[in-house]
Amino acid sequence: MTWALIATKHLELRKRRGLVITAALLTTGIVVLVLGLRLIFHLTDPASNGPAGSPDIFSSLSNLLAEFGFLVAAAVGAAAGTTDLTDGVFRGLVITGRSRLALYLARIPAGLAVILPVIAVAFTVLCLVTSYAGTPQPTSVSVNSVPIPANFDQAGLQGWIRQHPQQAAAAFLPGPAGPAGPTPSSSPAPSGAAASQPINVLYAEYTDDEIAGSNPAVNEMVKIGLWIELEVAVGFLAGLGLGSLTGQRTLTVIVLIGLEIIVTPILAAHVIPYFIDGQRLVVGVALDQLRPAALEAPGLSGGGGPGGPGRVLFGGRGALDIPLMPTWAMISVIVGWIVGWSVIGAWRMMTRDA
Amino acid sequence: MNAIALAAGAAPQHVFGGGSFLLAVLVLAALGFGAVRLTARRRAGSTKPDSPWPSNPTTPTTPTTPPASPASPASPASPAPPPATAEIAPSAPPRLRRVVPSPDAGWAVETDGLTKRFGSNVAVNDVELRVPRGSAFGYLGPNGAGKTTLIRTLLGLTRADAGTMSLLGIPVPAERSRALARVGAIVDEPRFHAHLTGRQNLRLLAAARGGEADTRIAPSLARVGLADRADDKVGSYSMGMRQRLGVASCLLGDPELLILDEPMNGLDPAGMHEMRNLIAGLVDEGRTVMLSSHLLDEVERTCDAVAIVDHGRVIRQGPIAELTRGAGTVAVQLDCAEPARAKRIVDEAGIAAGTTLTEAGLTVTLPQGSSRELIADLNRRLVGAGISVYGLQEIRTSLEDWFLSVTSRLGDPA
Repeated sequence: MTWALIATKHLELRKRRGLVITAALLTTGIVVLVLGLRLIFHLTDPASNGPAGSPDIFSSLSNLLAEFGFLVAAAVGAAAGTTDLTDGVFRGLVITGRSRLALYLARIPAGLAVILPVIAVAFTVLCLVTSYAGTPQPTSVSVNSVPIPANFDQAGLQGWIRQHPQQAAAAFLPGPAGPAGPTPSSSPAPSGAAASQPINVLYAEYTDDEIAGSNPAVNEMVKIGLWIELEVAVGFLAGLGLGSLTGQRTLTVIVLIGLEIIVTPILAAHVIPYFIDGQRLVVGVALDQLRPAALEAPGLSGGGGPGGPGRVLFGGRGALDIPLMPTWAMISVIVGWIVGWSVIGAWRMMTRDA
Repeated sequence: MNAIALAAGAAPQHVFGGGSFLLAVLVLAALGFGAVRLTARRRAGSTKPDSPWPSNPTTPTTPTTPPASPASPASPASPAPPPATAEIAPSAPPRLRRVVPSPDAGWAVETDGLTKRFGSNVAVNDVELRVPRGSAFGYLGPNGAGKTTLIRTLLGLTRADAGTMSLLGIPVPAERSRALARVGAIVDEPRFHAHLTGRQNLRLLAAARGGEADTRIAPSLARVGLADRADDKVGSYSMGMRQRLGVASCLLGDPELLILDEPMNGLDPAGMHEMRNLIAGLVDEGRTVMLSSHLLDEVERTCDAVAIVDHGRVIRQGPIAELTRGAGTVAVQLDCAEPARAKRIVDEAGIAAGTTLTEAGLTVTLPQGSSRELIADLNRRLVGAGISVYGLQEIRTSLEDWFLSVTSRLGDPA
């Protein structure tokens, strides 16, 4: 595999205007449209319309980018895996005497070089708007309506709980009227009760509320961006492998859309007894376990599933209801999908009649 | 009258198309090839057959054709002297055919027992093919005869079920990459990315080839006359331009061997003419061009040697001149007064293998191997009998006639 081969495969994909424009519209286009409209509304009527960026918008668009990014990448991968076949060029390439494996492998960096920048541009726009045209960072975190100073680390929170036992009890041990109570003092809790709870549990609840109410820090944005790009890369490689296997772009895209928007949500929605390990083999479940802590899962107000405080790797944590799997298992599933589809695609390319 | 005398200008008086120069070239070609064959036979020992090609079945004969003369190409004693049939010059040979190069230089393509099956269908059946280097070689057969399958097998696009093969002396598929680095090929119609320009498509193929292929893009485009349209999208190209771009893609590797599958397909007469010239130019540079086709006339115009394939099996192969020589009958079309009486005279004289009255007059089929003197004799007899002869025209045995006679289209070959 040579640089020239990669460059020309990149050219071949990049020049598919329809594909690239669709990919850009479904990712960067949506982000620009939503944020652009919010910017305009805010500028025209600031009293009625808040700033363009907000934690909610950031989470929503990030999750959308991950979802659409996977699908768009799968479509690009399917195109990369089938274009030579459908255009009848595969035969000409094989006749050159170049190893078929090299021809396949060249598609990987070439395709990633097409799709990853598109997603990166979309996410960069989102981060810029969130940072420079978003809501100001709050100075306090509202935990069950109890204001707690923001930016505490675990030790800082522990110190604050010791100094404010009653407020801590109202925040972390709310009674029946707790969350709805007008003030912390209206639902007093036993002094020192909050302090008796494991600090990591309390800190997880604090950070959940902190994330929900504030824009992510730059380092969190970087983690979220990398996580989205990982989703996109997996989608591309799955599309490339499946496309090379079937030789049909449409079929490949349909199968991967079905996987992403039907199979994965169904298998991730509930724990199926005796099939939990099978559920974990779905790449979407494994990737969710890598979800950065600063990114709320779609539809979850507090974030975090039964895994609760289960930070896994690189600050990730599962947001689905599937119990977290060991880190090695999660990595194995993701690597397995990447390597597995690549091996299948390469094998088919090497054995296919040209 | 012998061939040398004819070549020297002692032409008969009756009407024949073609000049003595052309005749001389053909005779010299036959002599040269015969000498090569003789040399090869002497080198290999007299027990080997004189033809470097795998032995062909006996030439089929029509009912009116007498037994083959001793000078028939099927005879092992024939190589040195020019066969008698060479004395009858074709009326309009398609072009000056080259002398097929000596196989001493090795074969450009060589297969033994090559077989490819698709289920119960045997697409390539025990093929023993020899393509001499430096020649234009036609792989000729009707549609569905297995021409493209053989080419795909040679190029490693599909696996052979049995047999061995080599390209330029390099065994494939064992050393396929090394062999294909010196081969350019078009299989079926040339296909390209329609959304890329001609130049970009060649860049893609050059990158796959590696080496100096990238530097040959511009010269290749110029060679096939596409330099002006190189930056247009291939989607806007005509079929002829795509064919030319296909040839340009073949030239990226500066190949010693070009394998072109049906290169004339979809071309208009001008395009065919261009393609013919292009192929001739490539052969003149010392490259070997193997082309498959079902267009007999084009193969005859373009190639020096052919293999005829039918139902996956090669049934004949060798230089065209040798294959068609004596393979069929020679006929003379007579334009005369009283054709019925002329027919009686010819029949009674017993000098013809057959006579047929036609709307145009009388067709006289001469015995195989007849000399041109027989045509003059025919003329003398008719004139002597008081029949006015307005014209005599030889009906040449073309590759097409021969092809149809040996393929299953007209019955079982041989």
